[in-house]
Amino acid sequence: MPKILVIEDDVDMAEAVRMPLEANGYEVVHTFTGEEGLQKVKEIEPDLIILDVMMETTTAGFQVSLQLRSPKPESEYAAYKHIPILMLTAIHDTTSLRFGPDEAYLPVDDFVEKPLTPDVLLEKVAALLKS
Amino acid sequence: MKLEQILSCLAEGARQVVEADATAVYLLDESGDHLAIAVVCGPYPAREPVKVDDSPLDREALGGRLVIVTDRRSDPRVADVPGDFRSILCVGLVHDGTPIGTLHVCANDPRQFNEKIAERLVPLADLGAAAVVATRTASAPEARDASRGQFIRVATHELRSPVAVAQSLVRGVLKGYAGEMTEKQADVFDRISHRLDFLESLINDLLDLAAGKSPELAEEEGPTLLNAAVGRAVLLFQPHAEEKDVEMALHLCRDQLIVWGTDGGLDRVFTNLISNAVKYTPSGGSVTVIVRQVDGQAQVEVADTGIGIPEKALAQLFEEFYRAPNAKASGEVGTGLGLAIVEDLVERYGGRIEVESEVGQGSLFTVTFPMVEW
Repeated sequence: MPKILVIEDDVDMAEAVRMPLEANGYEVVHTFTGEEGLQKVKEIEPDLIILDVMMETTTAGFQVSLQLRSPKPESEYAAYKHIPILMLTAIHDTTSLRFGPDEAYLPVDDFVEKPLTPDVLLEKVAALLKS
Repeated sequence: MKLEQILSCLAEGARQVVEADATAVYLLDESGDHLAIAVVCGPYPAREPVKVDDSPLDREALGGRLVIVTDRRSDPRVADVPGDFRSILCVGLVHDGTPIGTLHVCANDPRQFNEKIAERLVPLADLGAAAVVATRTASAPEARDASRGQFIRVATHELRSPVAVAQSLVRGVLKGYAGEMTEKQADVFDRISHRLDFLESLINDLLDLAAGKSPELAEEEGPTLLNAAVGRAVLLFQPHAEEKDVEMALHLCRDQLIVWGTDGGLDRVFTNLISNAVKYTPSGGSVTVIVRQVDGQAQVEVADTGIGIPEKALAQLFEEFYRAPNAKASGEVGTGLGLAIVEDLVERYGGRIEVESEVGQGSLFTVTFPMVEW
């Protein structure tokens, strides 16, 4: 059963993510902050991470992804670099930044938009776990 | 607080702090050469604006010194201070090194003020100067726009985010991920979902409308490619049209038509028009989008075979929050803001929009822009 770590500061949004995932047999672990999330990555070694962009700060999610994907060999997260990251974004909050996954700037594998469409989420999760 | 209120507080406060008989606040004019009375407290006589260079008392105070006149009869610096006051204190109103004005504090009897009493005025004067600067800055047009833009951004994020969460939860429930529902429950959740979708589009439209009216939020305008913008909008609604069995046709102009605007603005114009066309056209109908050059102008036609717009509704069609009765009755989600946004943007870019329609036959929206040399 693939393990998915959801890092999301809104408890209701976390529930909206958890509901379709659990119904489809995934094991879901949730943390509220980026810091707790990074800690959890080491503890449970998830198969996939779903990360909210805006948490304590507007860029907390970006910072988590940058730490996890740090190119430095001495990074404490070097062993977890391969874990796929799916980022939750509210595209309208970032209209001037029509961003897509970008290795240098934002190392995540895919985006999923809020409001969440469960089927889209499940499709993206399945695709990332397969790769 | 308004500037006059702040100055009145300053004048009254100063009078009370040193138990003076009258006070006056003078403000420098834009050139910084003249001081004019802005507000008085007590029997301080009216006076024409005074040249700073002609008033040694004010000049010293503006230079940062606290000036104490114990008796005007023995002090030549106050020859032109109005009234018969014998004791006078003059403090400069200076903020961050910038002189703003002076505060005159007067008493009828001589030797009323000394250094110790005068010192009490300094914090008051500093606070007053800071408040004057803050009020002037806040009421400058660019500051108003910036804070309005900031307010709109924060407000929309705060509004949008709980709606997005609720939509996400409801969609999960509707898909059955929270367990099986009865038919009645599913129907209720469907209605909730519909209302939430409406709320989301309302918030998005309000932001668009606010962005159009708030220069601080808008992208910089310039020469923009018309074919590309129309193409993007058609592409966006193609899947929805197919799903609905509405045929969508696009005829772009062979020439590269360049108009004044922004990509984001033109996207909003054409996504609104094309989304309406698809939305109000029943299955089996068609939406045709044509971009062409007519009499040296760029023209886009969005034609549909939809429900049409009643003649009576045409006059109000571009009003904010207006929806034609048959559009409302159709059960489709709409805020009545889309066409107001479209008209606003088209006019901003120097263009015009026209509409022809017949109920039950369809509608034709024609947008015409002047072309830009590039």
